Amino acid sequence: MALPLPPGLTPPEIAFLCEMELVTVIPRQRLEGLDLLGGPTPTLIPPHRSNIPLWFALLLKRQRRANIAPPPWLHPTSLAAILQFETEKSTDAFSPPPRLPPSADGSNTTSPPFLPFSVVDAAADALPYHWLELGEILLEAAPDDFEEPDQVRRLMRDLREVRMAKLRAGVDVLDAGGGFKMNGVGGMEVAEGRAFIGGVIDGLRKIGASREQQRRDREREERENGYTATTDDDDDDQMDM
Amino acid sequence: MDIDDILADVSREGEPQESRDLQELTRAWVAERVAPEILPYPDALMDRVLERIRRQIELVEEQTGNMDPKTNFRLIVIQTELERFKFLVRSFLRARIAKIDKHPLHILQTASTHLSTSESHYITAHQALLSTHYHSSFLSQFPAALQRLDDTAGGISMVDTPDTDAAVFCRALRDVGVISVEGTERAFEMKRGDCWVVRWNAVRERVLAGEVELI
Repeated sequence: MALPLPPGLTPPEIAFLCEMELVTVIPRQRLEGLDLLGGPTPTLIPPHRSNIPLWFALLLKRQRRANIAPPPWLHPTSLAAILQFETEKSTDAFSPPPRLPPSADGSNTTSPPFLPFSVVDAAADALPYHWLELGEILLEAAPDDFEEPDQVRRLMRDLREVRMAKLRAGVDVLDAGGGFKMNGVGGMEVAEGRAFIGGVIDGLRKIGASREQQRRDREREERENGYTATTDDDDDDQMDM
Repeated sequence: MDIDDILADVSREGEPQESRDLQELTRAWVAERVAPEILPYPDALMDRVLERIRRQIELVEEQTGNMDPKTNFRLIVIQTELERFKFLVRSFLRARIAKIDKHPLHILQTASTHLSTSESHYITAHQALLSTHYHSSFLSQFPAALQRLDDTAGGISMVDTPDTDAAVFCRALRDVGVISVEGTERAFEMKRGDCWVVRWNAVRERVLAGEVELI
């Protein structure tokens, strides 16, 4: 049966992806390692911390077999610092994402959600790709593992608003060609902005399609003839339109 | 090469095939959900994943009779993960079928090598049924010149094609150099980790080469 959804991941699908993020748990019960389809899990021995995927951690948490240690960037002080950076230093771009692990020859192509950006020893000064989803899921499922869940909630909301405002302000620079850099964007923000941003770029492209086609034809001709068009041609195009 | 690089290399090589397959399958699923046209079917990857799912189901079936609470919990974890995998595979295949249903003639003409064996069976059987049905219900009463479903006369093709210029969100997995958008003056450099909104056409080759991923 065909999938009745339009192209682009929906928010529940983004949350599904987010559940593959590694988080740190403090087990309360011993659990032998399991051979799962996505690779073996470590043996959980209380009170040693282990890194496991979020979906597994949520399952253990729900059965009160483990506590989840929130990632360092989800502490109120880190969030406040990032919020200050977003509002004061970097007023039109998102704060930079966490530093990627080194890849000298370009062979390491691991990307979120498989990078350990949300374990206990991750960086505290940057929001990872799935920050919003991960924060919300943890606040929902494990509020008792936070020291100040309400403070975290408030800061998350502030951050979200600041960043959404940037995403909306960015609409001004959209044009038909695309090529719009958004480093540091979050997964849920992509899902929210996709329909609008994609729609604007595609709409503008369709408006300018004939002009672009002329340009393409001319470039092809130039390549074939080895002749460079002068700028006068542009004026002619405008007259034609 | 500094110590970080050495550590990264070691951890990369030490990663089991299962984890790498999960990453690959996840990436393939996201790409198929986002890209406007059908992508090549990852034969080897799907064979491995489906075989593992089959074995895991057998394991669950064998152990369900065991009432020991410890095994029981292990089974719950295993089944939860199994369901997640099945969702990935299903959603991936369904996204492909949606594209096949939307642009069947285009795929038959230009991208039939991107299909798996069962997808090829499906598209040919489905198209045959459809054209027989159209023919018997109304096409046969049209003049012979108007009966074709893939007419290109008059400069307009009847075959629906996906919009390959659609804007997509993507992330560079390594430094890929300069990307230029055909038909515009736009050209920019993509570095590892950069996120961009670009036309699918401009990054298509890079995505197929595994240098850029869709998000």
